[in-house]
Amino acid sequence: MTTTYTKEELILKAENISLQYDKLILRDVNFEMHNIVRPGMHQGQVLSLIGRSGIGKTQLFKIMAGLIQPTTGTVKVGVEQQPVKAGDVGVVPQNYILFNHRTIMQNLEQGIANARVKKSAKEQEEMIKEYAAHFDLTDHLKKYPMQLSGGQRQRVSILQQVLTGNHFILLDEPFSGLDALVIDRVVELLLKVSTLDELNTLVIISHDIENSLAISDSAFVLAKEKDKEGATITQKLDLIQMGLAWDPEIRTKKPFIELVNQIKYML
Amino acid sequence: MKILKNLFSPFTTLPRSIYWVVVVSQLILVLALWQVFATGGLIPTPLKIGEAVIRIVTTAYFIDNFFASLLLTLKGMGISIIIALFISYLSLVPFFYPFARFVVKWRYLTLTGLIFLFTLLTSNGSQLKMSLLVFGIVPFFVTSLLHIIDEINVQEYELCKTLRMSNWQTLWEVVIVGRLDQVFEVMRQNFAIAWMMITMVEGLSMSQGGLGTMLIKSNKYIDLSTVFAVLIIILVIGIVFDYLLREMRHWLFPYTQLQVKKK
Ligand SMILES: Nc1ncnc2c1ncn2[C@@H]1O[C@H](COP(=O)(O)OP(=O)(O)O)[C@@H](O)[C@H]1O
Ligand SMILES: [Mg+2]
Repeated sequence: MTTTYTKEELILKAENISLQYDKLILRDVNFEMHNIVRPGMHQGQVLSLIGRSGIGKTQLFKIMAGLIQPTTGTVKVGVEQQPVKAGDVGVVPQNYILFNHRTIMQNLEQGIANARVKKSAKEQEEMIKEYAAHFDLTDHLKKYPMQLSGGQRQRVSILQQVLTGNHFILLDEPFSGLDALVIDRVVELLLKVSTLDELNTLVIISHDIENSLAISDSAFVLAKEKDKEGATITQKLDLIQMGLAWDPEIRTKKPFIELVNQIKYML
Repeated sequence: MKILKNLFSPFTTLPRSIYWVVVVSQLILVLALWQVFATGGLIPTPLKIGEAVIRIVTTAYFIDNFFASLLLTLKGMGISIIIALFISYLSLVPFFYPFARFVVKWRYLTLTGLIFLFTLLTSNGSQLKMSLLVFGIVPFFVTSLLHIIDEINVQEYELCKTLRMSNWQTLWEVVIVGRLDQVFEVMRQNFAIAWMMITMVEGLSMSQGGLGTMLIKSNKYIDLSTVFAVLIIILVIGIVFDYLLREMRHWLFPYTQLQVKKK
């Protein structure tokens, strides 16, 4: 595939992250993400952080979200490269926590209320309506979260974070607990979000190799090295260079299937 | 036959109609046994008590006392829940946390030992009753409310942070608005304690009447059918309130019904 693209400014940098609880969970985690530019389109970025269960993915997720402080190191986000603090990046946690005492509409209003760009009440409502249609939530706006299925709640959770105006959205295990059909829809939706804005960046944290890789342009493997305590990034894959990015039919391609199998052994 | 088997095996649910048949027949059985064994004895029979209930509830004497108790309870509950909510919300501010924890421990103080102190501190009988009642209920309310606050999932606070809410907004959204429905549940669960205390504190200042006064007076004259009748009335009122508070919660907070149905 011949796709022209360039990697421009730095938009995310994790430097020397380590996390120590009673044992060392993470060590020497270093990575960077650059804005990917493709002529003639809004091309966002999608990064996968892949690792087996219990390796420390959720902890890294919380560090990147500014919700917990790492023992050492810093995460810097955005073109300005400021140290991350809670609210700078959108977060879709594994079980899609929402305000159960509020309707879907009200939950979405909470997302937009403190948005980066201030809007009038009328504009806010129009924006919610417009996005709700894209996210297939129009019929559910008056319902409470308890009345929605897992997949629907996840969509509300993603939209709530999109409405905050954050370019970065972290998703913890976005494919777990969903059936195959719903996963396909989430994948489609995530791709849509990633191309809404040039700077939109999704970080998918998952143990589901195939689904994560299929929509990513880069992927990092989080694993333990032999005889060393604490997980670190053991492999960095540039899927664009490998010719495995931005291809809707990727799952059927042989090199992709081989890569998925190869990574399975690394976890 | 299957129903009979289900009736005695754990983790099975009965159809609603069968459930009520079981309830009613057990009630009838108990009443019948009571009637048989109490006839001729010291304890009044259900029929006698029933007669007494009917006789009592139509008298002005009862109605006055009933409203005296009800008003005292509602006022006491109202004041107590406001004080308890205030203490509980403040417990999230580090400075006030120790105080809130301390209030919880007051459950172990017995009111009887405090009557003297409260008599000195208050100027009349109704003040004495009210302050004892409030002092008695608040620790129970605070205990339940703090438990609810403890149970809140950290992720809900994290969600607020990622939505860029301030700490005060988070307190408002998650703890105050988000748990308001449970305040009703706390009141419902602790209504029993309030209702129990009421009859006790009413005995301290008999001039204002109340169901507690009625009980004490009838006990003194060994008018046991009245004692039992008042007890039954107290029980029924308690159950009715329990029901009303639950219905009110569902009506005010429709989403609570969804949670129940899901289970
Ligand atoms: N608050 C904590 N204190 C101590 N250990 C923790 C804490 N939170 C998580 N852990 C440990 O960190 C490790 C990684 O957890 P987690 O990040 O949830 O894994 P993953 O998301 O990859 O499945 C686990 O061994 C877990 O027991
Ligand atoms: Mg996890």
